[in-house]
Amino acid sequence: MIGKGRIVNTQRIHDVPDDPLAAVDYCYEQGWTDGLPVVPPEESRVRATLAFEGRPPETVIAVHPATGLELTVHAAAVNAVMAGCLPEYFPVLVAAFEAMQEEPYNFHGSTASTGGSAPLLIVSGPIVDELGMNAGVNLFGPGNRANATIGRAVRLCILNVFRMTPGIADKSTQGHPGKYTFCIAERADRNPWPALHEELGYGPDISSVTVYAGSGFCNIENHGGGSVESLLVTIADTMSNYGCISLGQTLLVLAPEHADIIASTGWSKPQVQQFLYDHATRSIESMKYIGKYVEREHKRQGSPPEVHRGIDPSDILITVGGGDAGGHSAFIPSWSRSRASIMQSKPIGVCIDC
Amino acid sequence: MKLIDPTGSAPERSHARAPKLATLDGKVVGLISNGKLNADLLLEETAKLFVAEHGCRVNKLVYKHNASAPARQEVIQQVADESDFLLTATGD
Repeated sequence: MIGKGRIVNTQRIHDVPDDPLAAVDYCYEQGWTDGLPVVPPEESRVRATLAFEGRPPETVIAVHPATGLELTVHAAAVNAVMAGCLPEYFPVLVAAFEAMQEEPYNFHGSTASTGGSAPLLIVSGPIVDELGMNAGVNLFGPGNRANATIGRAVRLCILNVFRMTPGIADKSTQGHPGKYTFCIAERADRNPWPALHEELGYGPDISSVTVYAGSGFCNIENHGGGSVESLLVTIADTMSNYGCISLGQTLLVLAPEHADIIASTGWSKPQVQQFLYDHATRSIESMKYIGKYVEREHKRQGSPPEVHRGIDPSDILITVGGGDAGGHSAFIPSWSRSRASIMQSKPIGVCIDC
Repeated sequence: MKLIDPTGSAPERSHARAPKLATLDGKVVGLISNGKLNADLLLEETAKLFVAEHGCRVNKLVYKHNASAPARQEVIQQVADESDFLLTATGD
């Protein structure tokens, strides 16, 4: 209801018949779903979820910068229940929204834009195994409750709390399958480098979630190149394809087979980042030809002889995930040709103010 | 069964439109571009109409730091201080 500048939900409790299927239908009727059935947000399940957050339910964890709509701990818990989350998943959801709340993430732009990104959650650290998250085979696919429902809870909060309704506030041209759910875990046992949560400085016992406004998913297939250079040239070529090259950031999820090739050389992660940055380029002339050359953006890179992807090598986030078999890594370009969103990370379940 | 409403709420905000200008004649025009490819062209061509039809003066175009985020407060303050009215555009 909108009146006198205040947007409120006037009916906090909805009495419905004690019929689970009717309750599912009721949620559809209220417009509370992402198109798939939701778990009816029944009181006891919400209470159980709230038990995993130390702060009061009315605590605001994110505010929509344009509308002022607020995500409270309570509202997040309700949507987590609807997504199918187990209560112990809740701290991941809270940390994800705390990350998206940071100004450089650009929550409104990334959720409203024609570019159609989806917030990808990358979870790293001991919580991956504690929650039984999938970091392995079929990494981005279905089948794991934690991955599926945590990502879905993000979307339900965006729809129900922030009212980023498709076609109204969400103007994405073609959408994104990750707008249903987009949550992965880092695979620690095949990662040749320190885990992401440790690189972020959180220590071995503190897990992290990194939120990345991800555009479409590009498969990087290479089974024949046995050298680190041949593999990395393949990856750099994918990063710099005409449809993707921009000032934006890069997420590279290395398949274990590809990670093994790099590990066998002893290359450090900064070496890999530098190689990729140096090789993910296009000529100025070709960028002009396709109509994507913007001198002001090129200057942000320091006006090098060729146009690179991103600003510098640290723009390339490298993690490891997927099944044991297959030379299939993933490149996910960040949303926005002009670098409008910068990935953000937060520790999970660490509440400074609690 | 009692279901808990999953929607959000917002605190009251007080927004008001700026008072309408009595005339456009001789006014100073500010321009804020979102930095996308055709925004500058759209703004500059539109500003020319205000110059031709109302004798306006046009200030130097300024840019948002991010095409998809609001202009920074200091940018808004600058153009507000230097202009009588503002044109902005989301060229693409």
